[in-house]
Formats: sequence, structure tokens, C-alpha cells
Amino acid sequence: MKLTSRKIAFAATTALSLAATAAFAEDVPSWCGPDNATLALLDGSGGNSWRQITSASAREEAEKCPSITDFFYADGQGDTQKSISDIKSFAARGVDAMVVFGDAGPAVLPALTAAHRAGVTVVPYRQQVGGEEGVNYAKFVSASFVSDGVNFGNFIKREFPDGAKMLFLSGPAGNSVGLEMLEGLNSVLDERYEYLNPAPFHVTNWDPALTQQVLTAEIAKHPQIDVIISDYGASLIGGLPAFERNGRSIPAITTESVNLLGCFWQDKQANNPDFKLLTRGGGNENGRLAAQWAIALATGGTPPETSVYTSEIFEDSVTGEPSEVQCRRDLPGEIYLSAKLSPEKQLEAINQ
Amino acid sequence: MNTANNATYGTMPPGLFGRCRPSFELGTVVLSTLALIVLCMIFAPSSITSGALAGSLPFAAVAVIVGLGQMLVVQQGGFDLSVPGAISLSVVISTHYPAGNDAELLPAILLALAFALGAGLFNGILIGIVRLNAIVATIGTNALLYGGVIAISGGVPRTTTPLLSRIAGGEFLGLGHTVWYALVIVLVVAVVLKKTVAGRRFEGIGANPAMARTVGLRVRSYEMSAYVSAQLLYCLAGILLAGLTSQPTAFLGNSYLLPSVAIVVLGGTSLMGGRGFPVPTALAAFFLTQLGQFSITIGVPFSAQTIIQALALGLGIAIYSFRRS
Repeated sequence: MKLTSRKIAFAATTALSLAATAAFAEDVPSWCGPDNATLALLDGSGGNSWRQITSASAREEAEKCPSITDFFYADGQGDTQKSISDIKSFAARGVDAMVVFGDAGPAVLPALTAAHRAGVTVVPYRQQVGGEEGVNYAKFVSASFVSDGVNFGNFIKREFPDGAKMLFLSGPAGNSVGLEMLEGLNSVLDERYEYLNPAPFHVTNWDPALTQQVLTAEIAKHPQIDVIISDYGASLIGGLPAFERNGRSIPAITTESVNLLGCFWQDKQANNPDFKLLTRGGGNENGRLAAQWAIALATGGTPPETSVYTSEIFEDSVTGEPSEVQCRRDLPGEIYLSAKLSPEKQLEAINQ
Repeated sequence: MNTANNATYGTMPPGLFGRCRPSFELGTVVLSTLALIVLCMIFAPSSITSGALAGSLPFAAVAVIVGLGQMLVVQQGGFDLSVPGAISLSVVISTHYPAGNDAELLPAILLALAFALGAGLFNGILIGIVRLNAIVATIGTNALLYGGVIAISGGVPRTTTPLLSRIAGGEFLGLGHTVWYALVIVLVVAVVLKKTVAGRRFEGIGANPAMARTVGLRVRSYEMSAYVSAQLLYCLAGILLAGLTSQPTAFLGNSYLLPSVAIVVLGGTSLMGGRGFPVPTALAAFFLTQLGQFSITIGVPFSAQTIIQALALGLGIAIYSFRRS
């Protein structure tokens, strides 16, 4: 009887531990390999909420991998020399992998190359730094805004099948976000869709005051604006009440999601029948993809299928798919409800 | 040196508009503005509709306040390059400390004013007493102020409180509140400069500090007062700007440095110091803002917009330089 109990106990323990191992294996993502590694996240200019939330997302991603034994973060504070010195000092300290937002562009390439040659898995992301994969760094994780343009264009085609008058606003002159988005838009829209802005887009420097002035002038000039396309939704809000002042409805808008905009839509949509909203996610998951690549290469895991980050549609006020317009009034306007990082953790990230 | 015949500082008791008769500076800026309005009527009629002006005038008003601050410093032969930091700091203080809570707005505004006072005194001491070059000293102060901006905000924008939105964005008698504030500030600066003993001394010291020192005026105190007043004006402009934009960025002051100097030059104040022209300066701020709206409305590319503004500035400098020589 005793023997039987022991056997049962042994069998139960074995079964339990097997189950636990299986569960553990399921929890560990495929990009997390068996080799232990340390990871550093180096920001060239970490001083804004988007960057802080993106960095916190990358950190959360790294925490999913038990092979990552230590995680470091450094902010170049917009100073190229500090960014270069951060890269060099972490390489000298012997980190196994580094994810780098190279704000300074090719200026940080020599430092990245030196770290790569010293055996560090170097993964720059989002900002082009020049150089070649395998020679100057392990992998470049890019972001494409063409797909945003395609998504926006499809929404415009769906809501305005016979053509539309559009106003496209982006950041500084020649910025790649705006140009790629335009490429996506033009791949979907034909000549019935007319841009009211000077080509390629209205320059706003992503400055809310300038955006407001541009919007004011355009609203007064054009009696018909069907849709406003922008890559920075929060900056539009100050200028939109001008439509109401002129006795017009706020038009359809395609832009980036942010809590403030969602709440603004909820406040205004009843009195503005044309105010339809399509938003893309905030793009904070770009940091996660870069972290996955760095960890996979450093720990011997399976790398993700793609190294190009594309954000997806987040809210569609017409179909409610994949989400209705969201607003959390208990949270600050600058929170990205589209991010996988919980709003509480976002708050923690931007208030630290 | 005979200041009586000096074009930058006359001996006639000047009226609010410079002298008793309309000054050359006022005439120039009024004519330019009228010309611009005519151009707008022909090529960009929508830019002077009431709807467009309701949107652009509040920003012109902010530019007026910033321009007056820079004017006071330029009158003392100085230059204030701490405009971006000063505006950005008051923007982040008035949005970050209240964090959307109206009850916290007043303490935040008082705090912003206290910081402005501190920055003004710091500039004033460095330039008026330590005798540092104004450009060098104010660049340093700008960096310090930006340090404050980053320390307070971490570079993160925060949404304006509803009360501040109403204070800055509301309308009274068809004009935005900000426009009324700017009118009051222009009036106060004009009266103080032109109708008070302190104001007259201020202008006299700017025109000829050596002479003023000889007759026993407290030159350093007046120079310091220019920097302090300027910072207070930038601070007010920043608070209003925070109210006008629903989610101001932490670097909103960056776009005001060059326009502040351009406004002063177009307003007719000599970069060598001396007489100031508050009303022409205010009109110049409107001129520059409307020129921006005109360029946007006629639909020229951004590069051409910048060139048009640069040409206007160049023309302004040329007209005044030609007259003074």
C-alpha cells in the first residue's frame, strides 16, 4: 500500500513537472532562445512620451524572455556625442545585445560598427543609420508608413466612392513618414481624389500652433474639405473647432490614435455628422519588434518573420472594426490606448 | 554726440504713437499692412474672412506679446535669445503642474511668473552688472530654461486644462480673449514708455547709456528691468499659447525666436537701441502672422513661404537702414 502511494506520488510529481515544463515552454516566446544574454536599449533622444512608452514596451517584451539576465537603458538626450558614448560604453561593459534608436542617423554608425565587430548583437531600429546588415550591425528593424497610407486611402475610398477633396498634413518638409504615407495613399486613390494642399503635404513641423494656423487658413479657403489626413492626431484638435465656427461639420479624419483625439471625437460627433474617424495604432510596438530581433539573435531563438514594422488600423468610427473610437477620461490625453502596454504602465513610463 | 538730431531718439515729447505726429515707423508698418491686406483681398480673399482671422488673430496676439518683450531688450541695445526657453518653460509649467485640474491652474501660473522673474533677473545681472555680451548670456539662459523644461516635462506634452482653454481661447465682442490681452499689454507698454518719467528714462538710457550715466541715471537698473519685463511678457505669451493649443508640445517656443526679432525690426526699433515703437511693433506682429496666412492660402510650397517672410524682413531692414543713413 505504501509502495503504491509512493508510486502514485512519484507519478503525480512527474506529471506535474512535465506539465509545468510544457506550460513554461508555451509561455516563452519562440524568439527567446536558450542562451543567457544581457540587453541594452539605447535611445538617442528619449525625452517624449511616445519614446518613453515605446522604450517601456521594449522592456516589457524583454521581460518575457527568461534568458535575458539584465536590461539596461540609456538616453542620449538628443546629444549625438552622448549617444555615441552610450553605445561605446555599453559595448565596453560587455552587453550581449543592444537595441538602438539612432536619432543622429549615420553619425552613430561608426560606434555601432565598432560594437558589432566587438561581438555585440546590434539592432538599430526605425531611424535609418546607413550601413549594411551583417557588416555594420546585425539587423535593421525598419518601419513602413506606406501601409498606413494604403489603410487611410482604402477608408477614404470606402467613405467617398466618387472622389473627395483631401487635406494632407505632415511634419517637417521632406520627412519620410509623410512621403511614405503619400506613396501609400497614391497607390490606392485615383485622380478623382484631389489634394487641396501644396505637394507633397502641408508642412507643420508637428507643431500644434503651426498646424492650427494651417488648418485655419485652409478651412477659410476651401468651402469643401471632405477628409483631413494627418500623421499626428493630437495636433489637429486645436484647429478643428474652426469648422464649427464657420457653421460646417468637422470632416472625416484619418490619423494616428491618441486618447485625447478619441475623447474629442466622442464629444463632437453628435453635432458634426461628417466627422468620421479612422486611426492607426501609435507605432509603439516598433520597439517590441526590435527587442525581439535583438533577443532572438543574441539568445539563439527564432527571429520574427519580418523586420519591417507596420502599424495596423486601430479605430474605425463607421464600422467599429477592429475597434470603436476609444476614450478613457480618467487617463491623460497623451496616453496611447492602441499600445499593448497597459495605460497604467504608460503613465508610469511617462511620469518617471 | 548730439542726441537731439539722432533719428533713434528725438527730443520732442512723444505721443503714444512715437511723436505727436504719426512717426515714420508707424507710417511704414501701416502702409505695409494695408498693402498686404490689399494683396490678400486680390490673391487670397479667404485669408481675411472673419473665420480665418478668428483663427489667426490669437496667434498674432501671442506674437505681439513676444515681440514687445524683445523690443524692450533691443531698446537697451541688447538681444534676447532666451525667448524659446522662456516660452516653452511657461507652457510646460502651466500644463504639467495642473495636469488637467483647473484648481491647480492659478498656482501654476504664479509659479511660471516666478520662474520668469528669476530668469529675467539672471539675464539682467549677467548683462547689466557682470557686463556679459547679451547674445552669449541669453543663449546660456536659454539652455538653462530648456533644462527646466526637460526636468519638469521630460519632453512630454500634456493636455491643457479646460479653464486655461477658456481663458485663452474664449471670445469677447467677436474677438478672441488673447487679442484683448495683447491690446491691453500694448497699451500698458506704450503708456509706460511714452508717458511716464521711468519710461522716458528707459528710452534715453537705451539711446545713449554713457550720457545717461553722466546725468546720474541708474543705467544698470533700467537695463535689468528690460530683461525682467521681457521674461514676464514671454511667460504670459507662453501661458496663452498653452491655452490656444489643446496639447502643446514641450518645445513650442522654438518657432518664436526669429519672428520676435523680425517683429522688432519691422516695427522700426533700431537694433542699436533707443526709441521703441510699441504700436508699430504690434502691427508688425500682425503683419508677419498675416503674411504667413497669406502664403499658406495662396498655396505656395513651404520653402517659398519661408522665402516670402525673409524677403519681407529684408525689405523692412532696408527701408529703415536707408532712412537712418
